[in-house]
Amino acid sequence: MRALLQLTLLGLKLNFRNRMAILYGYLFPLIFLVAFWAVYRSDPVPLALHLGQFLTITVLGSACFGLPTTIVSERERGVWRRYRLLPARGWVFLTSVLLARAVLLVTAALLQLALAFAFGMPMPAHPIGLAIAFTAASFAFLAFGLVIAMLVDNVPAVQALGQCIFLPMLMIGGVAVQLESLPAWAQHLSLFAPGRYAVEALQLSATGTGLSRAGFDFAALLSTGAAGAIAAGAMFRWDKAFAPRRAWLLLAIGMWVAVGLWAETRGLASISAVKDTREVGSARDYAPTSPSTKAVPASWQGVTQADIDGIDFKRLPPDEGIISPLSRGDEMPDPIIQPALDRIRDGLAGWSPGNVSDPVQRARNLLAIAAVPDILQMEQVERFVPRLVFARLQAVIPPRDLPKILYWIAMHPNEGGDRAIHQLGAFGLPDITGPTKPVRGRVMLYAFKLLGRLAGPLPNN
Amino acid sequence: MTKALTVAGLSRRHGAVQAVDGIGFEIAAGEIFGLLGPNGAGKTTAIECVLGLVRPDAGSITVCGIDALARPQDARAKTGAVLQATGLPDKITPREALDVFGAFYPAPLKTDVLLERFGLREKQGAAYDTLSGGQKQRLALALAFVGDPQLLVLDEPASGLDVQMRRELHDDIRRIKAAGRAVLLATHDMDEAAQLCDRVAVMVGGRVLATGAPAALIAGSGGSLEDVLLKLTGGAR
Repeated sequence: MRALLQLTLLGLKLNFRNRMAILYGYLFPLIFLVAFWAVYRSDPVPLALHLGQFLTITVLGSACFGLPTTIVSERERGVWRRYRLLPARGWVFLTSVLLARAVLLVTAALLQLALAFAFGMPMPAHPIGLAIAFTAASFAFLAFGLVIAMLVDNVPAVQALGQCIFLPMLMIGGVAVQLESLPAWAQHLSLFAPGRYAVEALQLSATGTGLSRAGFDFAALLSTGAAGAIAAGAMFRWDKAFAPRRAWLLLAIGMWVAVGLWAETRGLASISAVKDTREVGSARDYAPTSPSTKAVPASWQGVTQADIDGIDFKRLPPDEGIISPLSRGDEMPDPIIQPALDRIRDGLAGWSPGNVSDPVQRARNLLAIAAVPDILQMEQVERFVPRLVFARLQAVIPPRDLPKILYWIAMHPNEGGDRAIHQLGAFGLPDITGPTKPVRGRVMLYAFKLLGRLAGPLPNN
Repeated sequence: MTKALTVAGLSRRHGAVQAVDGIGFEIAAGEIFGLLGPNGAGKTTAIECVLGLVRPDAGSITVCGIDALARPQDARAKTGAVLQATGLPDKITPREALDVFGAFYPAPLKTDVLLERFGLREKQGAAYDTLSGGQKQRLALALAFVGDPQLLVLDEPASGLDVQMRRELHDDIRRIKAAGRAVLLATHDMDEAAQLCDRVAVMVGGRVLATGAPAALIAGSGGSLEDVLLKLTGGAR
């Protein structure tokens, strides 16, 4: 035990004497964090909704590069051959490397969290759950890092193989690029790599309901980690002169595949609905029969049921998609975004653009509150804000007039003023710059969606 | 009396090459035993088997009465070694290396004593990658001594050392002998073997072709140990 402790402390000391190790171990995670902060700067809750992502990147980087580079470079230079002359079993040396790596990983993650707090990120909803999820993710990835270390002979090969795992998992594995933004095939593919399970488990502890809903994520992380640890143990070699028993790689990779198939066949890991990323289009795309069958009404008061019946609501983007997303009526937001939603709901009554005398402009202004978060892709928030807006519209516009006004706004998206778009600070929503046409497009879609619910064709669940 | 090392019927094949072919020898406490032979004779493979780095295909190895194949950790606790092609982390210091390596043994020698004895006092805090070749070799020797071993295994320990360092190394090895420890020395430096070894075994093609005191072998063939080796290998002078 004394030897293990001393060796672990030595490993830490040596790491801190290596400038490149410091760079990779501490600076890169902070750079990723700043990148997330910059990309998602419009989030109402800074970084909290991406905590799972940036912590997973830190663990993944350490497993794909830091850990195997340490082991392989020492083995290349005969350090492990020298260790083997000592009266201790191999697990002592491997454990010391893993312990040192775990300390480096935890300190890097704490540094990331400290900076994230400085950027305004709130405390995670379930700190203990977060620590447990982080441990499970570290176990899964570091075990695979050991597999890489046993498999390759030199440091350049670590970099090459590490990149082959690191980059795909970031881009299409649900780690750096969110699953909702990925095509369906990539979402399915992501089930076969542990990255998305790590993100989900961490995020549920950070902003979700805690680990109670992360059972499958934990099962996936622990099983892939155990398979990796067993495979790495079987492939262990002191000296690069000896070839690793590569057949054991099948166990590590096989477990990734097994977990993916398990998720696919049991439906335990939910796949978001197919995303609709097409252009918003024009009003004519959604009301194709209206112009040809009858005269266009001259004002909103002239809108008839026949006009509304001419709308093909099935053409609207799906509620689960990226464009004009909308939560289900019975869906609960993550607790951490509830204060942001409360602020919007509480501010609606006193928001002057929402109380202007012209009912069309009033409705248009209110719809902009839903449209702006959608444009800025404020995940989760953007899906719940429309519900608040719909409730407000129904409260401040007579039921008889509301369908007509919504029809009018939807069919004339470029009419009326749009200054309200720049007056959303009262709700904690950011100002947006540039042309307002995209926002008007989303106003149109939300007008259609609420109209569809009022008129009946769309389910009001 | 228990032998420090007993090797019997040791064989090891590397692919198509029979690297070690049924060799056997014993080393008593306080004895320096040399393994001589040209490159490829099987000296290093034999030593790797003794140290448990390579598992032999056949044979037995006993270190201070311990079956080294059945209880390799216990055998290593009695053994110190300096091998070719081993290294240390670039940024480790001699003091740190001695401290950490010592932690693996039940009764390690004191780090300060070893630093003094191997002339590393001034370099105790220097990074390994800043040490000269001689200093690195001295550190390797100090690390071999850290567990106060009963058996010291040295594979070409003088390679890369200058004349002064080589002389100091030889003095160290003689001190080990005087302290009652056994030494297994693999070398192709015949002068070194003649000066240091009580007995030598000449290996060629994985087999021991001759064993005995250097003086006795020389007397049998005339000339020097080098002549003995050339004669056994069929080489011409």
